[in-house]
Amino acid sequence: MSTRRKRSIFEIINEYFENLEEWTERLREASIEKPSWNHRACTMEPLRDIMVTPTEVIVTVDLPFAEENTIMVKPVGRDTIEILAKMKRKIRLNDFGITHYKGEFHTLHCRTRIPVPVYTDKMEVHFKKGILEIHLSRKHENEV
Amino acid sequence: MTAEVEVIEKKEIPSGAAMLFGFPDVGLVGVIAASHLVSELNLTEVAYMDSRLLPPLIVLHEGLPHSPIRIFGNHDILLAVSETAISADTIRPIMHALIDWGRNKRVRKMVSMSGIPVQDRQDIKKLKVFAAASNSEVLKTVQDKGVEVLKEGYMVGPQAIMMQYCVKKDIPAITLLAQCFFNYPDPEAAAELLKELTNITKIKVDVSNLLEKGEEIRLRARDIMRRTRQEMSKMKKTQEYDIPLYVS
Repeated sequence: MSTRRKRSIFEIINEYFENLEEWTERLREASIEKPSWNHRACTMEPLRDIMVTPTEVIVTVDLPFAEENTIMVKPVGRDTIEILAKMKRKIRLNDFGITHYKGEFHTLHCRTRIPVPVYTDKMEVHFKKGILEIHLSRKHENEV
Repeated sequence: MTAEVEVIEKKEIPSGAAMLFGFPDVGLVGVIAASHLVSELNLTEVAYMDSRLLPPLIVLHEGLPHSPIRIFGNHDILLAVSETAISADTIRPIMHALIDWGRNKRVRKMVSMSGIPVQDRQDIKKLKVFAAASNSEVLKTVQDKGVEVLKEGYMVGPQAIMMQYCVKKDIPAITLLAQCFFNYPDPEAAAELLKELTNITKIKVDVSNLLEKGEEIRLRARDIMRRTRQEMSKMKKTQEYDIPLYVS
């Protein structure tokens, strides 16, 4: 006959956090289920990535067709930055063989939340091989 | 062949061909390279995959439905390519089925095309292509062609399963890995990989068109890259950055 082992409080807490992590992951995935383009705003959403180091946060954004002198990076509130760039030429969904949706795009646009406190007023920005790199200095605990 | 995955042939399949693989992975190197091979070499669809393991989707081209995983070919090449990100838990049966099918068609060797992520990729002027092989003889043929060997490290994803299964089935296999972005489509890396493919096989392909269309490819590939990122995260792809503990 099998006996049921009583679970320790640590196991229960551990399971709780595992479930919470899974739920957060699902929520994160669900939240990005949207088109990568907006036909009303005529914008396409670029791919981006965030890396947090002990001293800074590095945001990279893939900006194909971006006109370098039109790239804008601006803070939105305390924890978000907005990136805009005009494209060298207008792109239509038709150019990709898509005829059942209409859309003509001239701007790359995205907003990115920064996961840790940073100085959004002091940014270092580089653009190389179509990749935008934004360096934001982290705030120390006593500065938050 | 595993019953849950079926390869359906549309045309006569040549015997003794080289079988290539281009699956969604870091930088979409394999998929971009495969797509370029299909258009440059005028490869036609010779077979496709059907499986309950695949997501409930078809790809429409010119109004006609296609499986997301297809095999293109000519008299000398068979090229398996996926147009959708493959979930981590289905990679193994899918790769096994494709390799078993290729083995039945007496392919002479298998080559998987993929990338290896590198930090500060945008600062690298000349991208390197590394190789790994299923046995020391095959590895030597690759080294003799001047390709750098990936000596130590982890490999995660379709190419890892391919290599492991080819060793088990004693099929000569090579994995080519071009330095690339982790999270962004990388046509330049795909071009470097194709140059090395030309070097180690008889397959000749011009990459100038691929480089010319680089920006357009990066824009077009955003959605498949986004979905591939989700799957790479599930299969712990970042383990490729890890330093392995040497066990002899």
